Amino acid sequence: MPFEQLLVEGLAMGACYGLFGLAVVIIYKTSEVINFGAGEMAMFSTFIVFHLLTFYNCPFWLALLSAIIFAAVLGVLVQYIFLRPAKNPTLLSLIVITLGVEMLLMGFASWKWGAEQQEFSLPISYMITYEPIEGFIISQWALAVFIIAAIVVAFLYFFFNHTNLGTAMRATQQNKHAAKIMGINTDRVFAFSWAFSSVIGLIAAVLLTAKTILDPQFMLEPFLKAFAAAVLGGLMSIPGVLIGGAIMGLLENFFGYAWPVWKPITAFLVIVLMLCVRPSGLFAKHWVKKV
Amino acid sequence: MDAKRGMGVMLFCFLAVLLLAWPVQAATERGFDDKEIRIAAWGPQTGPAAPWGAVARGSKLMFDIVNEEGGIHGRKVKFFVRDDQYNPSQTVAAVKELTERHGIFAFVGGVGTACCQSVYQILLDNKIIWISPCSGARSFWDPHNPYLWNIWVTYEDDSSILTKFAVEKKKFKKIAMLYQNDDYGLDALDSVKYRLSKYKMELLTALPVEPTERDLSSQVAKLKASGAEAVIGYCSPTQAAIALRTSVSTGFRPQWFHSYNLSDYPLMNKITDGLWSKEGVITSGFFVPPDADHPLIKKYRAAQEKMAPTERWGIFYQAGLVVAEPLVEAMKRAGRNLSTAAVKKELDSLTDFQGVGPKITWTATNHKAPKSVQIWQAGPNGELIVLQDWTVNEISRH
Repeated sequence: MPFEQLLVEGLAMGACYGLFGLAVVIIYKTSEVINFGAGEMAMFSTFIVFHLLTFYNCPFWLALLSAIIFAAVLGVLVQYIFLRPAKNPTLLSLIVITLGVEMLLMGFASWKWGAEQQEFSLPISYMITYEPIEGFIISQWALAVFIIAAIVVAFLYFFFNHTNLGTAMRATQQNKHAAKIMGINTDRVFAFSWAFSSVIGLIAAVLLTAKTILDPQFMLEPFLKAFAAAVLGGLMSIPGVLIGGAIMGLLENFFGYAWPVWKPITAFLVIVLMLCVRPSGLFAKHWVKKV
Repeated sequence: MDAKRGMGVMLFCFLAVLLLAWPVQAATERGFDDKEIRIAAWGPQTGPAAPWGAVARGSKLMFDIVNEEGGIHGRKVKFFVRDDQYNPSQTVAAVKELTERHGIFAFVGGVGTACCQSVYQILLDNKIIWISPCSGARSFWDPHNPYLWNIWVTYEDDSSILTKFAVEKKKFKKIAMLYQNDDYGLDALDSVKYRLSKYKMELLTALPVEPTERDLSSQVAKLKASGAEAVIGYCSPTQAAIALRTSVSTGFRPQWFHSYNLSDYPLMNKITDGLWSKEGVITSGFFVPPDADHPLIKKYRAAQEKMAPTERWGIFYQAGLVVAEPLVEAMKRAGRNLSTAAVKKELDSLTDFQGVGPKITWTATNHKAPKSVQIWQAGPNGELIVLQDWTVNEISRH
């Protein structure tokens, strides 16, 4: 078994799943809504990078920066236009709304950029490889994924623990009404969390496209994996979702190596097993409401 | 007396309506009149499979050319394209609408095995000519359908010839396979094993891939660990591109072989950052190469630049011409007295007919697809190199 290769590739893909899982968790932490449109929001923003690169010949970093701003605005708009107007929404109705957003964005992207696979190259390349130890091949792409994931995690740790907005987001999640009484503008917190989630989703999607292919469907499967990672790590835990992503990536690779036919069901197995055995995930505290 | 008169008036009205409706109904069923012939195609113009929608638009180009040249024996072709979004239920709706509302003389093409299967019985029941589903599935020629003519080489024949080339011409002894986990890949897997058994060889490993999978690291790791010198891939363009990218990033560089479904080299180069050419991927092909110095290719490309300048001249677009060519030929041969029976008779007697597709021979009892393909390779500068001319699968099992 090529242990080293499976380890590196599994951890790199796992880091992408973990990053993308963060996009799901950030919204869940503030509003307890699972955003099923997260994949397509990330896909749509990635197409903005593609559009700027292809049709305006923008430098990559400028295109990425523009797309980050776009992703933030998109997140706010989705929350403002689709979720906020919902009257007396149940959790289920909010989830259904996010499914509607998913379909809308995918349809629009297919119409605008076509369903054909697109050329999308990043400054980081999967073709450039290093072999620090014999048999231990690591691509430039995998290195970049590890570094970017580490930066994002450090930033999130700092943000949630040492900034007022981060504290406000945590407070809103724990008790929306109490947060309001304490003077927190919860509507603004919700809008910010959607923007934040959308930007992190974009970063994960851009990293994934460098390894896979850009088309309007490209985030369907990674979303499922990221969701499994979030369930595994705990939908309330940021470190949990990253570790869940890493476990998911490794599990999928080693499981897929040993039993290739069963590889596609790995994510489903993880979700079902975790929901049966420990619904709050491996690393999240299980909150029980007392009545 | 009044009741009798009333009955008489009603009967008269009924007969009048029947007589007025009769000629229209007859014309609708036949799918043509003195001025036009109604031909149709469906295909995904939107949705995930939209790139394959170019097939229907390629057929449109053929009928635009026919119309510009004066039509067929004085009749212009009215061509209908319906977007089914690669969804069988929408294919059924589109075909019913076309046949019942417009009256269609013949259908050409049809993308997607499931979509084609969903309307198979409707077209057969209505005895409507259909050339040819864009699928190599067995169900389209077994059992024999008198109104359906096949052009798409079966995946069984295709993969068998590719394997033969890999073993006999390229002398590969260690061969592995990456296959899509459905009829497309499984048919090929069975055929590759059968062909290898003739050389007393076995696949080192055969790994499934789902059409939605985006991470093929474990499959590539296993292919690499198997020590394969050559990998035969039967999957979609996306999975083939991801597999190639992953294999390069892990230092695994076998000779890749793929089916004719992946012979759109400009597209494949685009989505693999040029690796398709750099790695010299070999595919089969059952069309005249799209950039060939061939009089019909030149004619069609000139027409496309003039009539459909926004279209990309690629293999899917050419496929639309390939399925329309035999129909146009048969209608021309049938003469002014057009009928389904007359065109069917001409199609049943086509012998070694070749346009920009494979050489076709059909009889009244054999509407199977040809059993030969060419072997192509992506050249270092993105060009298409023909490695081997038309080769018949001599061990075909059908």
